[in-house]
Amino acid sequence: MKKFFNAIKNGTFKGLKTGLMLLKIMLPIYLLVVLLKYSPVMPWLQGICQPVMKLFNLPGDAAVPIITGFFTDEYGCVAAMGGFEFSTAAITTIAMVNLMAHSIPVETAIAHRIGFSSGKLAVYRVAAAVFVGIFIGWLGGVFL
Amino acid sequence: MSESWNHILNEMLTGSLSTVLNLLKVLIPLMIIIELLVQYNILEKISKRLEFMGKPMGMSRDAIFPLLVGTIMGVTYGAGTLMELNERKPLSKKDFALIGVFMYLCHGIIETGFLFGINGANVFVVVGVRLLIAFVVTCIAARLPYFRKMEHEKV
Repeated sequence: MKKFFNAIKNGTFKGLKTGLMLLKIMLPIYLLVVLLKYSPVMPWLQGICQPVMKLFNLPGDAAVPIITGFFTDEYGCVAAMGGFEFSTAAITTIAMVNLMAHSIPVETAIAHRIGFSSGKLAVYRVAAAVFVGIFIGWLGGVFL
Repeated sequence: MSESWNHILNEMLTGSLSTVLNLLKVLIPLMIIIELLVQYNILEKISKRLEFMGKPMGMSRDAIFPLLVGTIMGVTYGAGTLMELNERKPLSKKDFALIGVFMYLCHGIIETGFLFGINGANVFVVVGVRLLIAFVVTCIAARLPYFRKMEHEKV
């Protein structure tokens, strides 16, 4: 039983500690995204991203969390997603694309250290993100 | 700016607050679950039962445990377990590569399930479909000559 309570205690403590660390990155991302959303840059960005996002059955706005997630991590993607209103289907598709390809700079560096080739890995993950995005976008359009 | 500053600041404040709350809703249960999994060696027990999954995915039995750790708890834990295990009992290069193929498509399912679930995604797709995609891709990769020729190479 002692093990159990220790797990609860340590888990809560670690959760709060990690939360504090992540918020230092998430809050600035969120605030910047809200600013970006109302700035004159957004309509221009939407215009550029719309054709690509259409592949995934997503609105042009979705490019913001996807690109943010690509360079930061899942938490960055969620923070950026918080700035917009998306449907369940869109959120699911964004989540899946992001889960296939996120924190590319950091994770490929880790992969390199344990002996995987960074370049091949980045290509593999981006390709997976595109295929999965098309598949889930279609799935979302049909079922969700 | 297409909205008044008043509106924007208001949105920033409420949005920040919900970001904080949602994050804690993810991290505290996640960390408690990870602690419990580690304390009771749960994944070691489960991985014994899942060893048969190695065959279709072209991996040895020893590769299942680090793969399971990475898939359930996250890449950092998975990579740590993999390195530790490899020092005691070296895995083939093929095992390493196929673990990579699987784990880079699907890792930390508890974390990401909670994270995207709480933020409005369909959890069945984010967890179930992702596991399925990773499994199918790994099964296919295991049959490609590129991975098959690694079978007898050491890392």
